[in-house]
Amino acid sequence: MALNALICDDSLLARNQLKKSLPAEFDANIVTASNGVEALATLRSQEIGLVFLDLTMPELDGIGVLEAIKADAMDCLVIVVSADIQPEMQKRVMELGALAFIQKPASAAKLADVMHKYGLI
Amino acid sequence: MQLDWLLQPLLAQLNTGVLVLNDQHQIVFFNQFIARRADKRLEHTQGQLVYDVFDDLPRAWLQRKLDGVLSLQAPAFSSWEQRQYILKLPHLRPLSSDSLYMAQNCTMLPLTAPDGVSHYVCMLIEDATDAYVYQLQLQQSMAQLELANRTDGLTGVYNRRYWQQQLGYEVARAVRYQHSLALLLFDLDKFKQLNDQYGHQGGDAVLVELSAVIGALLRDTDLLGRYGGEEFGVVLPETDLQGAVLVANRICKAVAEHQLLFNGQTLNVTVSIGVSSYKGQTADELIQQADMALYNAKRQGRNRVVAWQEPAEVYLKQVK
Amino acid sequence: MTDFQFSEEQRDCLQELVNVAMGLASDKLARYLNTLVHLQVPAIKLVKTEQLPEHFADRHQQQSVTMISLGFFGDQGLRGETIMLYQLENVGVIAKLLGYSDDDSSEAEMLTDISSVLTTTFLNGLAEQLDNSFSYAAPRILSSRDKHFAEKLASTAEQWQLALQVDIRYQLTDYSFNCDMILLIPGEAVLRLRLILDQILASF
Repeated sequence: MALNALICDDSLLARNQLKKSLPAEFDANIVTASNGVEALATLRSQEIGLVFLDLTMPELDGIGVLEAIKADAMDCLVIVVSADIQPEMQKRVMELGALAFIQKPASAAKLADVMHKYGLI
Repeated sequence: MQLDWLLQPLLAQLNTGVLVLNDQHQIVFFNQFIARRADKRLEHTQGQLVYDVFDDLPRAWLQRKLDGVLSLQAPAFSSWEQRQYILKLPHLRPLSSDSLYMAQNCTMLPLTAPDGVSHYVCMLIEDATDAYVYQLQLQQSMAQLELANRTDGLTGVYNRRYWQQQLGYEVARAVRYQHSLALLLFDLDKFKQLNDQYGHQGGDAVLVELSAVIGALLRDTDLLGRYGGEEFGVVLPETDLQGAVLVANRICKAVAEHQLLFNGQTLNVTVSIGVSSYKGQTADELIQQADMALYNAKRQGRNRVVAWQEPAEVYLKQVK
Repeated sequence: MTDFQFSEEQRDCLQELVNVAMGLASDKLARYLNTLVHLQVPAIKLVKTEQLPEHFADRHQQQSVTMISLGFFGDQGLRGETIMLYQLENVGVIAKLLGYSDDDSSEAEMLTDISSVLTTTFLNGLAEQLDNSFSYAAPRILSSRDKHFAEKLASTAEQWQLALQVDIRYQLTDYSFNCDMILLIPGEAVLRLRLILDQILASF
């Protein structure tokens, strides 16, 4: 059964960029959300295995989403894809339980690398 | 076409100073522009700290700028308007400028060597002495213009426009800080006769001399202005009615005792003074009240001081 | 008349590029200042230049504002001017942030320094996204403690066809300040920018 993956980013360009950069062998149904509130609604109503999460977003930012996932002990993996690449921020994201941090714009090679490492492809 | 040969003569002839430092702020290169003006030779100074080679550099300031350029890999700028010069260099127009040193605009650019790891800062120094000199001249002219704009051409005291504007400010200050404030308006007695007898030159000479006599009696913070032909005003900040009447009496007495010489003749002149003080009025009302008091001083026989008083009927209304 | 409007896709694309550029800039700033810079999504808006004075008059009502301009030039006809707007009560905070408390720098010098750091780090990031590189003219103070600032902004804005208004809020661990940045871009460079955005959009 194919995995459900959620791409959460407020930018259409960023969502498309990410979709296009995903490895061809990654077999998943892709759903999208354009802010943290939408993402949480999707996570609570559907079985989502993997989330690609942006940090700087209106309504609820990526940190808020990570905190909610942690608080509700939701069963999903999160890869943060963000332009906010400060070391402090990367550290915080990892402490909140993210699997990996990828700098925007996400390169196909880096994505494949991370997903391979965690057995997602 | 091979262009490498251009580099040396261009750098040597360039009318801009080029100074290259490594990431330790040590001198890597400077061009002829700097070498000649600073009287330094590159081969004697290469590898030394820039602060040791050039005296009087603003060290803490420059260090921070250079560190910023290196760590942010972004350019920094300095303009002569904010810092007249960075390198103390002579300029080429010693006669036309009263400044000893070259005014400079400086751009600091990050450079990376082809190896990708060695970082440098290139300082470009442009001579802005001309602009600096023009700016100074402009400022001087502006200051003169401003002075001319607020003084009365004949007497040198403030003109009416400026004086009234200042009165407005003083009223605002009195409101804000609850200070007292008083106003004198005075008029030369029988000025028309004076003019008829001695001509306009005589009248003018009297106005000029009396302005000086009265100005000398006032504090630095008092504002003496020419309100009309022979009518003058004094704004007395932080002075109450009583104090103002004292000042007015002093002026009245000084003028009456002053002996004025015109074309070998002694003239005796007197003034009448109206006084008002601030109790919540507008600037215009203060002037009106002082003017009414002045009118009463004239009516009561001139050469005297009258303070404005609220008309009795208003007083009665308030009592009721 | 040439139409300088952006489609929603072009706007979204530009917003994302700005976002990434801000990320690069704040990373550099954070390392330079040795602290965390909290970035909010920069709200970018494309506005007609004639609307700018009105907008800023509303926004900075009754406050003294200082305007600092910095020109930039890139390859392929990309060029423009950034204007940073500071409220003077912010100036002390910014100075402390950048370690300016204890020397003889004038307020004007401090503001031009800060502006060039904030704008050039951001613009370098943007140039990188656009496969370009920018060179910069020295920053100029357009007005300081000036009541007629709206008029000055109007006369500056008049020379440009498009303004990209970016509201930036820099928040650091102990201090926070906000300033407005306006990117002013002339007509032919707007057309160039749209072409580049279309190329980026076409590749996804």
